[in-house]
Amino acid sequence: MNPDLLIMALLAGLANWGFRALPVILMKREQAPGGVMARFLASTGPAAIATLFVASVLPQIYPAPREILPLAMGVMATFAGFWPRKSIVGGTLAGAAGYAATFWFLGLGG
Amino acid sequence: MTAKTEGPGFGAGLITGLPIALGYFPIAFSFGVAAVKADLSWFEAVMLSVLIYAGASQFLALALFTSGAPVLVSAFTLIAMNLRHVLYGPALMKEVGAEASRKHAWAWGWGLTDEVFGQALGSLARGQKFSEAWMFGLGLAAYAAWISGTGLGAWAGGGALAAYPALNAGLGFMLAALFLSLLLSILTRKAVPAIAVAAVATVAGTVIWSSTEGILAGMICGALAGVVRK
Repeated sequence: MNPDLLIMALLAGLANWGFRALPVILMKREQAPGGVMARFLASTGPAAIATLFVASVLPQIYPAPREILPLAMGVMATFAGFWPRKSIVGGTLAGAAGYAATFWFLGLGG
Repeated sequence: MTAKTEGPGFGAGLITGLPIALGYFPIAFSFGVAAVKADLSWFEAVMLSVLIYAGASQFLALALFTSGAPVLVSAFTLIAMNLRHVLYGPALMKEVGAEASRKHAWAWGWGLTDEVFGQALGSLARGQKFSEAWMFGLGLAAYAAWISGTGLGAWAGGGALAAYPALNAGLGFMLAALFLSLLLSILTRKAVPAIAVAAVATVAGTVIWSSTEGILAGMICGALAGVVRK
């Protein structure tokens, strides 16, 4: 393996482990319920997931819109797949299938 | 908050990780294809997934490496991209409760990616109990899919999905569908301000700066919205 590539991967991987594991290992057990930090952490989850969803679809909307109809159908199919049984698997698969079907129906991708 | 400590085992974690594995595999496959196109060997492609295990960072690593960027500059660029992960562990443990064991967090913490965090949080919000074995299973399902997808993509080489553009497009949307499903699973009236502020800040940060800063802005502003909420 190329030594430069290995060093880069090792440093990035070590930092990733530190970012993911160390806060759990080092965090204090006692946190005032309803305190500022507790409320910040409680909101981190919804904020992070919303952020990642927006970040994952934004490149299709900005700066130049592309494949908007498959995107819209994919989003609607995700809702339709999720709601009946509140299933994450159902929503994910239905969303991907809705996107692919619309993409195929419109004859996109050559 | 009641501690959710008597939880399911490793196998249940693997099952919980299935949607992530389905989402990860095609993206990792794409990474494997891109890596061999960038003249990396099969072994190098797989080792990047084993050692870095962060999607966007790995694609950027390819670009930095092939452009000849200095190794330390490249490493610090990749490190800066994943700073957001420091929030995930504490947020998860806040949901689980202070009494929950974290003796083996050094092992399962490695798997705490965006999607694993989201899936764990969503499951806990729906009443799933926590155990370290469950977290390990959840993380391992995702990690295994990531590595095997990379290996298969690097083996298949460029153009593997070129004959199936619709399938390729659908697989490309899978992570967005996963995030949306996760968001729906944790949606409550109380969470709406954080979600709305995060969405607006992500768009603003991306338009003004870049997607990396947009993600960081979205997470921090959204979490802060939860602090100021009465």
